[in-house]
Amino acid sequence: MKNCDQFRELIEPYALGALDPEDRAALQAHLATGCADCAKAVEEARWLVSQLAYAAPEAAPSDMLKGRLMQTVRAEAQSQAKPHVLPGKSAIPFWLWAGVAALLVFSIYSAWNARRLNNEIRQANERAAALIHEREKTEQELALAKREAMILMDPNSVKIALKSGDAQGPQLEAKWHSQLGVVVMGENIPMPSPHHVLQLWFIPKKAGQMPMPSMMIRPDASGKFVLLVSNPPESMDATKALAISEEPEGGSAWPSNPPRYSGGVS
Amino acid sequence: MFLAAFTSSSPSEVSPDATLLSRLLQKDVSAFEQLYDRHSRLVYGLVLRILQQASTSEEVVQDVFLQLWRNADQYDSSRGPFVPWLCTMARNRALDHLRLKSERQRRREDIPVELPSAVVAPEYEKALDEKRRAERVRALMASLTPQQKKAIELAYFEGLSHSEIAATLKEPLGTVKSWIRNGLLRLKEGLQATT
Repeated sequence: MKNCDQFRELIEPYALGALDPEDRAALQAHLATGCADCAKAVEEARWLVSQLAYAAPEAAPSDMLKGRLMQTVRAEAQSQAKPHVLPGKSAIPFWLWAGVAALLVFSIYSAWNARRLNNEIRQANERAAALIHEREKTEQELALAKREAMILMDPNSVKIALKSGDAQGPQLEAKWHSQLGVVVMGENIPMPSPHHVLQLWFIPKKAGQMPMPSMMIRPDASGKFVLLVSNPPESMDATKALAISEEPEGGSAWPSNPPRYSGGVS
Repeated sequence: MFLAAFTSSSPSEVSPDATLLSRLLQKDVSAFEQLYDRHSRLVYGLVLRILQQASTSEEVVQDVFLQLWRNADQYDSSRGPFVPWLCTMARNRALDHLRLKSERQRRREDIPVELPSAVVAPEYEKALDEKRRAERVRALMASLTPQQKKAIELAYFEGLSHSEIAATLKEPLGTVKSWIRNGLLRLKEGLQATT
């Protein structure tokens, strides 16, 4: 093969590992061309170089080295012998895979079921809370209704007629119990102007004292209302009259309009 | 054929190494022990000659034989005899250690053991026993000029290149190249003449 001669002298040093990078690259490039003669020469040179191992004086390693090696080898041999798995066969049997799969499915179902149960519990709690709230509200309304009834039925309650400023207008009525409060009620009450409400006032007897603001009155669609004032701002003895005026939505600290209904406390 | 590569002078005669290696493939601990007993002195002597330190040399020898135990199937028995392959692996491993500088790099896990390609015996290879082969090689090395012997030893045992040997010996590069090539050719001729 042509060009081989220039590489011949590199072959033995190449097998020895003594070639500098440039020479080594040149020879490797030549070998890469597929030169069979040089490839064979390299193989022979490698064998030749391997014989240099015999030039080193033989020496005996310590017994400890052999002990360590044999200990490692025996341990590895035992660990490899234990599984004894046939080639190409999975180390994990099918039934174990099936068990794992079943466990996985069960875990997913359990998680889904737990989530569903949690949702149901949450919804039940919400329903229970709503019922409790509704019951408390009902109880509160019942207590108020009872109180209203007691005020209305108690003979000690003082009846107050609240007359309309308009002669054709409806007449309202109030009953004041010195301990239970005041109930004001009426029917066919005209709706207040948009963005306005009806507000109850307690007019003090004391001269020069400003009317005491009280609660808002919100008649239903038929103009009917019942208002309980459990804690009047003024005592019956100190109150001259009750009055209702139309006030801006949210109420006022003092009357901004003349009273639509009023009645003296006798 | 796995056993074919281990035949000695007589094709029908199976070498002890071939038998042991075939058992080693079956993870026969006893076969491994016998291979170790047969070749550990040669391998350890080679590694110790390179590294000049007993403890490090034992580490390298341990790695080499463990590699043999764990990867015996990677040895391509059809392409060459066992002992040259084992020695080539040991030399490569020892030179790797020699070239690494820091203690951290010297840790075993950082250095993968590279399995050498097969060392193909030439046609002139004679089936000598280990003892006779060692005697022959040493005699041939002793017959070289001191310069040839020194240059080859620097390359083989210390892993130096032509340029590094020239610098070490303070000799011209061309001269060093001649010493090495001529020395190796003389060694080759001597082995070819061995009967």
